[in-house]
Amino acid sequence: MLLEITNLHARVDEKEILKGLNLSIRPGEVHAIMGPNGAGKSTLSNVIAGREGYEVTDGSIRFLGRDLLALDPEVRACEGIFLGFQYPVEIPGVSNMTLLKAAVNARRKHSGENEIAPNDFLTWVREQAKKVRIDPKMLSRGVNEGFSGGEKKRNEILQMLVLQPTLMILDETDSGLDIDALKIVSDGINALRGPARSTVLVTHYQRLLDYVQPDFVHVLARGRIVRSGGPELARELEEKGYGWLEAA
Amino acid sequence: MSALSPAWADSFERLAGALPVAEQRERRARFDSFVATGFPGPADEAWHYTDLAAQADAGYRLAHFDEADDALLAATLPGSDRLVYKNGGLDRRHSTVETLDGTAAIRSTGEDGIDALNAAFATRGLVYTLAANTVAERPLQVLLQSDTGDSPAMLHQRHRISLGANAEATVLLQFVGRGGPRLLTHVIDVSLAAGAKLNLHRLSDEGDGATLVTRLDARLARDARLQVSGVSLGAGLARHRADLVIEGPGAEVHATSLQVPGAKAHADDLVRVVHAAPQGLSRIVARGIVDERAKAIFNGRVVVRPGAQKTDSEQRLAHLLLSRKAEVNAKPDLEIHADDVKCAHGATVGQLDAVALAYLRSRGIPLAEARALLLRAFATETLERLAWPALQAQIAARLDLPAADPELDEVSGDAA
Repeated sequence: MLLEITNLHARVDEKEILKGLNLSIRPGEVHAIMGPNGAGKSTLSNVIAGREGYEVTDGSIRFLGRDLLALDPEVRACEGIFLGFQYPVEIPGVSNMTLLKAAVNARRKHSGENEIAPNDFLTWVREQAKKVRIDPKMLSRGVNEGFSGGEKKRNEILQMLVLQPTLMILDETDSGLDIDALKIVSDGINALRGPARSTVLVTHYQRLLDYVQPDFVHVLARGRIVRSGGPELARELEEKGYGWLEAA
Repeated sequence: MSALSPAWADSFERLAGALPVAEQRERRARFDSFVATGFPGPADEAWHYTDLAAQADAGYRLAHFDEADDALLAATLPGSDRLVYKNGGLDRRHSTVETLDGTAAIRSTGEDGIDALNAAFATRGLVYTLAANTVAERPLQVLLQSDTGDSPAMLHQRHRISLGANAEATVLLQFVGRGGPRLLTHVIDVSLAAGAKLNLHRLSDEGDGATLVTRLDARLARDARLQVSGVSLGAGLARHRADLVIEGPGAEVHATSLQVPGAKAHADDLVRVVHAAPQGLSRIVARGIVDERAKAIFNGRVVVRPGAQKTDSEQRLAHLLLSRKAEVNAKPDLEIHADDVKCAHGATVGQLDAVALAYLRSRGIPLAEARALLLRAFATETLERLAWPALQAQIAARLDLPAADPELDEVSGDAA
């Protein structure tokens, strides 16, 4: 198993959001998590990434056999977990290049490698930037500084391409994207698909799943997964909404 | 005011005894004024947060420069001329421009107790005069070192920079030192003729025991431009006052300040810009990073005199308070006596952006490195004003901040 979540209970500000969630992901699989607002989708993403402010009260998460909950967020990232944020933050004064270089080198240090050679780094970043159609000039600006909504999301995908994670969690990366940007983002995700790498797509809409074919679709409601199925479940949800499941 | 100990009179008589009679008379008047006024304290509004009363009986004696002991306490900057002082004496061996050492005339400015004290005791210092239409070939590093041993010591210097019309120069006044209790005062008198441009840097990084008090008085004629970039690091108490007066139309003042006082240090900056002529522009940008039990005070004051129409002034103060025991007092003041002006000001005191910190960590960057990146970003606007990249790098290293990586950004732009 690449990721194994068992009986996960988590709360934010004293409010219990996840109430006994189970999810298993094997290497190479793409899982879509759908569900109504407030069901706990973002909480799940943030708990896996180790964001502060999310308290796990029960259950476990194992990543490649390790107890993920014992690790700091930066260690989780170095171990290969990447969270694409729903609202990527702007950091004026820290350039995108600085962030990418620090992130790449942190990861290399974690796995006992030397720092990347400056030229190799630049070539690598340029190559990836081309894939998401980001002008390298934008990378000397502050992180996401003055980026449009779509550019911010593409920048998340760029970071992911540069870092080559083992587990990609994309938290509503598709929201607010026009069709061209959605295509670019999907291409970026698909480019990373491979037998050793898994993906969790948190989304409201079928739209993204037309471009990134999931192997499994789960419905998250009231803090747990209430239904799982194949890609056809997403289409069913698109037609019927979540009401029939929530009532169930 | 607490009574002054007899040590003051004793020190003064020793100094005065060696001076020509005429000068003795002037100095004595200043000394009497100091005795009458004493050290400033909280009752004086300009000294609200910095109490020097305890200085009165510290038993300071004038420091002396021993030429045999001329170890440099700071790195020299590449590509620059140098004037080096230690304990108020000129270090000829390390100076490249000895001719800039001289006696600056005493001007009757401000007159608080410290001004009078400095005027009574001041020794030689930088006297830098550039003729009209001259552009200094190299920037000038003035190293003002205190190295005083264990017993209480003091030194007082006066400096003058005077640029003729359209002259241009870059000067760094760098304060560094070590030793026991010591009182260091410096008065810097600047005058810029029409169209002159001065880039004046001040870096203070004194060690424990220092009480460093500087006062900068600058007057700007028509279309002159003054950039004052101050950086306050280190230990002890540092008080820097700048009075910058726009006397001619169209003159510009750009004042930046970066305060990062050490663990228990006290940094107090007062920047006062007076718009006495129309069409002047002033910008005050202050950044402070205040941790542990450090204290930072920044008071920006903009005065627009009657008739100074079309004044354009802005001040932005921001401090990061990183510990519960640290303290920040930041205050932007405006005093406007003209109606057609644009004056903006703002001040914030806050903590490191937790969301940005979490974002960086989520990309694998360790907490300490993520913090350093954000602190560096916070200080960037003030650091980048420093004309020497070597100085920027030196300060960044001193603060454990990552060095700028211009190559990274340049090359990323080249590819487009």
